[in-house]
Amino acid sequence: MESPVTRLPTRRRTKSYGRSCFEASSRFAYTSGQLTILRIPTTREAPRARNIAERVDPEQVTLLIKNEWKLSYVTPLYRFRHTHLKKYSKHLSAFIAAEKQQGTAVEVGLETGYRVTFSTVLGIAETDEDAETVFIQIQSKPMFAATGDALKVVWSGWLTCVNGSPEYLHSLLPDFVSLPLFCSSGPENITVVVKSWFEKMFDCRFGSLGLDSTSLQWLCALWTGCHPDNNIRYLRLLWTLPTQPPLDVSYTVNPQDAWELWNSVRQEDSVDGTVGIDEVKHFMAGLESHFFRHFKIYLSSGTLRKVSTALGSAQQDGKVKILCSDYLATVLTLLTECAILKMPI
Amino acid sequence: MSKTMSKSHNVSEAESCIHGAANRSSRRSERRRADVEDPFGRALEYFSQVKAGTPVKGNDALENNLVLVERVALGRGLPPGAVATLLDFALSLRLGSSVCSRVLKFLIPASAVPQDSVVRGVSWFCMGKMPVSAQILFLRWILTMFDLIDSKDQLRSIYGFIFSFVTDEVLSPYVCHLLYLLTTKEHVQPFRVRKLLEVQAKMGRQPPLTQLLALYKVLCPEMIAISMPSKTRGGFKNHNLPWKTALAAVLKKNKTAEAPSPPLSLDIKEKASTRKRKKLHHLEVPQLSCGPEIESSRGKAVHLQQLRSFAQLLQNLDNIELPAQMGSLLSSSLALHYLDCVHDESALLRLNFWLGSVLHEEFLFCSRDGNPENSTEPSQFLDMLISTQDFLQECFSSSEFFLFKFLAMWDGSLHQPQILSLLSDIPPLPVSRMKMFLFEPLQQLYFTSSVFFKCGVIECLRSMLWKWLTWHFVQTSHKELDVSLSSSRTMNLHMSEFLELVTELVQYVGRLASAGLQLENYHILLHHQTLNFYELVCDVYLKFNLPLFLLPPSGVIFPSLLATDPVTVDRLGYVIFRYRQNLMSAKEHKQQKKEPSFHISRDVFREFNLLMVAVVSCLWISKDCQVDVGTDVHKALVPLRTMLSYCKNYNLIHHPAFLNYAIEFHQKCWPEQTNVDLSSIQGKKYWYWYLEFLFSQGFDGLKDFIQNNMDHQSTPVGGH
Repeated sequence: MESPVTRLPTRRRTKSYGRSCFEASSRFAYTSGQLTILRIPTTREAPRARNIAERVDPEQVTLLIKNEWKLSYVTPLYRFRHTHLKKYSKHLSAFIAAEKQQGTAVEVGLETGYRVTFSTVLGIAETDEDAETVFIQIQSKPMFAATGDALKVVWSGWLTCVNGSPEYLHSLLPDFVSLPLFCSSGPENITVVVKSWFEKMFDCRFGSLGLDSTSLQWLCALWTGCHPDNNIRYLRLLWTLPTQPPLDVSYTVNPQDAWELWNSVRQEDSVDGTVGIDEVKHFMAGLESHFFRHFKIYLSSGTLRKVSTALGSAQQDGKVKILCSDYLATVLTLLTECAILKMPI
Repeated sequence: MSKTMSKSHNVSEAESCIHGAANRSSRRSERRRADVEDPFGRALEYFSQVKAGTPVKGNDALENNLVLVERVALGRGLPPGAVATLLDFALSLRLGSSVCSRVLKFLIPASAVPQDSVVRGVSWFCMGKMPVSAQILFLRWILTMFDLIDSKDQLRSIYGFIFSFVTDEVLSPYVCHLLYLLTTKEHVQPFRVRKLLEVQAKMGRQPPLTQLLALYKVLCPEMIAISMPSKTRGGFKNHNLPWKTALAAVLKKNKTAEAPSPPLSLDIKEKASTRKRKKLHHLEVPQLSCGPEIESSRGKAVHLQQLRSFAQLLQNLDNIELPAQMGSLLSSSLALHYLDCVHDESALLRLNFWLGSVLHEEFLFCSRDGNPENSTEPSQFLDMLISTQDFLQECFSSSEFFLFKFLAMWDGSLHQPQILSLLSDIPPLPVSRMKMFLFEPLQQLYFTSSVFFKCGVIECLRSMLWKWLTWHFVQTSHKELDVSLSSSRTMNLHMSEFLELVTELVQYVGRLASAGLQLENYHILLHHQTLNFYELVCDVYLKFNLPLFLLPPSGVIFPSLLATDPVTVDRLGYVIFRYRQNLMSAKEHKQQKKEPSFHISRDVFREFNLLMVAVVSCLWISKDCQVDVGTDVHKALVPLRTMLSYCKNYNLIHHPAFLNYAIEFHQKCWPEQTNVDLSSIQGKKYWYWYLEFLFSQGFDGLKDFIQNNMDHQSTPVGGH
């Protein structure tokens, strides 16, 4: 994909905003950008269990898999530097303090009620194009704490990019760092403050990231496929059917049964470590037809809202919990992809 | 106290002082003569030389001079020199603080205030002898006259002295205001920030202090964090009350020829103050502020939010620092002027990310939380976008991407005027892309929507074509100006693609229009929109220098020709007339230049001739005629021939659109005849009278068409 901004010659009276459409040389050379480049993939790599602790600091891994995360997408950050994390910490803590007491100025660098720590989580990134993951933790001092008291973590969040579309990442200018997936956990008001700080500092924008039913089905199939290596213990699916009033259907499948069904729909020719969308659809159809045989309800007429196993859970409204670090890369790749698909250009 | 001191001096001293002055001035006799003629000058001299301690009470000379100067000051303002003298006189407190405040109150400058005098005044101020009321009055005077001070560099260099008064509880609001006006980036230092924060802790959140801190934050965001509560956004009070009316009157009187540059406000869009739905913040254009100084930037950077006028923008154009959030450039007209000069790719990309994300969130992902009925805010945003693109005369690529995605799910009614207007800004793109993303979805909406939407679509496409043609025209004429840039080979290649695109668009509109007219039962509004479009298309060669001749399809021509309202027929006449002019001039041009590249297909002429024959035979030739179109019988002519047999009776007399006029004409010619026989108009003489009559009714298009196409000697065939 060509860069959305092609270089503008200096001698020009006219110029374009975002892309030159006046230049005869570039006007028609331009490819259609994201509209044709970014497609939802029809095959994925089958998940392989990997001991992530070999690459990533185990302490940091526990931070990532402990919480339920609310997902957002972020447009590329302008002039974000992994080397300036200390400054960012100071600045964000002052910003939060200022937001808390509107109208009062706060000096940057002074002790406030909040302590913000930015840190890099090395090893999560899979390719050279992926920017390193950044983890943010906000701790607060209790009002009447003794000096020795430990700080309480009130909010945490992280920005990541795993196996991001190389075409997309290449198309960005060097001033930008793309960390499209933002996960946050903590009070909503702090999330809002953190987001607005990022928007002001790095000229980016946040938007909420929901997971459509195709993404949930993918997760459902990928997690089921892990069963032989890592017991998923249960496969629980939640549907909402468009009846009046809406009918919620919770469908729990025995892990072994689920795996056998998944194994049966796996095609012979795709043993080379990839999973196709057809297989996923077949798998879901199998689950649904089983349900229909018993309850005479077409689950396909409803919407899939939640998928959960012992390895993790994901909801339609963009809440994700990762319980097993071995498959972190697989899940994050899928989520990064969803985030990049939301990018405006 | 200076007052009591001054009383101890006696009158003789004051007299001797005046005598002394007179003696000195006698040495400069010329000057003295001038002084005699100019009592004002004498008064000034008095003030500059009066000794400290001169009694005030009962001092007629002082009183007279004060009255004189006051009258001049309030009448036409004081010249700079006089301001300096009087300011020095007043602040030195030579005659006490009551005189000081009296002088300050009428110290109205005519044009400018010399900076030196203000600096001198500040030094008197710093001496600490002035009573507080005089200090406040002086500060208020500076604040009021600030814009009139001729330059501020020296004032800025004594920033630290002024800053030291920030801790004074009474003076603090005025000092903060003055500092606010003087502060530049270099003045923002950690120790000052700390001092201000200390003051804030002591005195609480006073608006002037908060404003000053906010400015510090704007200039150096890495040192300070502050967020302003939305309610108390009011900054400084006006301190100009004693001088306001007098100053305004004087300035108005003195401002004669000086025309001020048009005001370009930095904040057009006052935010809706009572914003309850805070969640909808994604439709807000961010405020202008500069980025964090984490990487040190160029030394003399100027921030956009510091500029107040277009002139300032021009002066600082090379030093302007881009704002932290590029989206904020859309917030003001001044910033838009600057945006027009931005050549930084990253900056434009940032702007596009912002804009694209706003549009996506609001209209595609529909992340508004409830409240779908409130659509004023989104449409205001779209209006802002439209006017911005109009101003820049270009489409943001993010809004183009957005439109292509949005078209696929648009119901054709949500924000219809705005979306159609945005669509017309889409730049020329390769045909395949245009077909896939614009023509296809728009066509589906077109055929399933009301006639008014159809009219909107045709108008939108017309406006789009017009913009393309204008761009193309500007581009080609620009290229001709500097030949060095253009290599004709590449031009030709892209030219062919551009022609292909325009052809495709015109044909597309042709299809839409002919089907639409049929669907909507030849709705008159749609008729006119369609002809509007073709009025642009027919003149492409003469007006835009584009060798393209695309005739309307018969689905447009014949319904217009047979329309029941005369204006439609008249406009069709004009369109055909313009086509003819264009073709003729192209033909001449071809014969003169003999350019090989310039090629008009023979089909175009043949098609046009057929069209002419059809129209002429319809409007002109009456019932007995048979059309002879030569040997080269085109397929299209077969239906034409059959149709002509029906529309024999559609000449200008019997045409339903003109029947009314024919009857009126008949009544005027033969008022006594009750039996209307329209065929009697077909006599040669009456026929031309009838034409004249029609032309006099304002059918200029028809007039152009007939006068340029008809041999005046020929009568309608079959006439008497």
